[in-house]
Amino acid sequence: MIWRRRAARGLIYATLLLVTVVMVYPFWFMGRTSLRSLSQYYLGRGYSLTSWHDLLQALPVARELFNSTLITTCAIALILTASTTAGYALGTLRYRFSGTVFLVLASAMMVPMQSMIIPEFVNLARIGFINHYYAAILVYAALGSPFATFLMTTYFRRLPEDVIEASLIDGLGYGKIFFRIMLPLAVPAIVTVAVLQFIQIWDDLLVGLLFLQTPQQRPITVGLATIPSQHFLDVPELMAGSLVSALPAVIVYLVFQRYLIRGLTMGMSK
Amino acid sequence: MSSQAEATIASDTPRPRRASRSPLARRRRNAGLLFTLPVVALVGSLLILPIGQTFYYSFTNWNGFEPAQWIGLSAYQNLFSNPEFVSVIENNGLIILAIPVAVVLPLAVAFLINTHVRGWRIFRSVFFLPTAVSWVVIAYVARNFFDDSGLLQSLLDHVGLGFWHPNLLDHEHSALVAVMITFVWSMFGTNMIVFLSGMSTIDQEIYDAARVDGAGSLAVMFRITFPLLRRFVQLAFIISLITAFSALFSLIYVMTSGGPGYGTTTLEFFIYQQAFTEGNFGVAATAGVVLFLGVFGVSMLLIRLLRSDD
Repeated sequence: MIWRRRAARGLIYATLLLVTVVMVYPFWFMGRTSLRSLSQYYLGRGYSLTSWHDLLQALPVARELFNSTLITTCAIALILTASTTAGYALGTLRYRFSGTVFLVLASAMMVPMQSMIIPEFVNLARIGFINHYYAAILVYAALGSPFATFLMTTYFRRLPEDVIEASLIDGLGYGKIFFRIMLPLAVPAIVTVAVLQFIQIWDDLLVGLLFLQTPQQRPITVGLATIPSQHFLDVPELMAGSLVSALPAVIVYLVFQRYLIRGLTMGMSK
Repeated sequence: MSSQAEATIASDTPRPRRASRSPLARRRRNAGLLFTLPVVALVGSLLILPIGQTFYYSFTNWNGFEPAQWIGLSAYQNLFSNPEFVSVIENNGLIILAIPVAVVLPLAVAFLINTHVRGWRIFRSVFFLPTAVSWVVIAYVARNFFDDSGLLQSLLDHVGLGFWHPNLLDHEHSALVAVMITFVWSMFGTNMIVFLSGMSTIDQEIYDAARVDGAGSLAVMFRITFPLLRRFVQLAFIISLITAFSALFSLIYVMTSGGPGYGTTTLEFFIYQQAFTEGNFGVAATAGVVLFLGVFGVSMLLIRLLRSDD
């Protein structure tokens, strides 16, 4: 019996280690390749910082990281504003048409980006928004808000109704109840939304590609994806760039993974 | 400013008879409307309006600059008789074939992790990690992996299959296979988390009872775990399908640019191409409606699923 259990455990570990190799390989490949010059890469031996140096020459990496950070942060701020207020209204205040509003927002969650991006582009181009940060920020905010509102509403719904009653009796208005009581209670949901959105917006390509076309405003994903059309970057340089672009989201993931997992499973399990 | 907005809302909405009787209820409703305003303005103008416009433009001939010409249903007839569009739909159909793989592999591994062997949390974190990485980065690594000088080829060399050079990305009919493999890889973590959270909802007592009744571990797996996980398997199927149809643009853009030929042009890539490289905004809108209806239909199924056994 004991040897059978040991064999089973050995088999489990062997399989999990194999999957680990498959999952980690790309990161290892990126790291190792970026530390080689092109000739070292073909040779499969030796390490140097040439590629990192050349990458920084070819791409305005710092500028692009700044752009990504700015766009992502502002979009998250907008999403949090829109979704916490709406979550409070739809989840706890509940007025006559709040059910309908919730349903419409939940349906908006299902709109694929590609299906609305063309009129969106034309609309924003007509009012001269293209190549301004706020164009991308607004589009990301609109795309992220329905899901964020959905999460917030389900979260607020679970908070006990007594809290509101008690605060009303204490003479607080609905605005004060929101800022003083509900918002602090919602911090876990706020972190979840922020982390989910950070990864989504930081990693996105299409919105930046369409709405920020000048090199000064490009986020890092766009900078990386459009290299080949301007200058040639060899494989090690490309891997250095990939690593830089992936790192912030990976760090956010490692620090906040608990919240991320909860965000993904929210609504699935109770 | 805020009181003004409050006043307009109050006068615009029909008053529910009972609510208007008590001033407290009215205050509550006004506050509710006011707090909903930001999200309605944002989503209404930047998401719901453009999707409505997509429906309108789908019936027109439009290049994005001049006024659109209404051509009615023949826009759809033209689209479906366009051979390029037919191969695009075929590509989307082929991608569906990857979905069972994208579901079954993480399901199997979730079982292993759920045995809670020492270090299972670390495995879970590592397997979920690719979820944080952008498609652009994944695409660059994948391009190297499938290249003739890449890891796939050297693995083949090592196992004695060196005479075979699949070069998946170089051929119109095999490039999609490479895209599908990459898709399965990056879907792995999300689906695994879905299954793990499903497994955590199963009451441990059921297992204990089964053990007492003398059920072996295989019997437990097939008679208890699988049936209880059915809903989560369906969920993973649908999430994967939606991702495959509406979130692979960046991957395809960097990995293959839709090629060779139309080999990896999926519906969402076709929409981008038609609008922004060909200038056929009308055709792109028509295809956008087709994509919308497909994804929306599948999503409705998802919601029904989530609601069904609450």
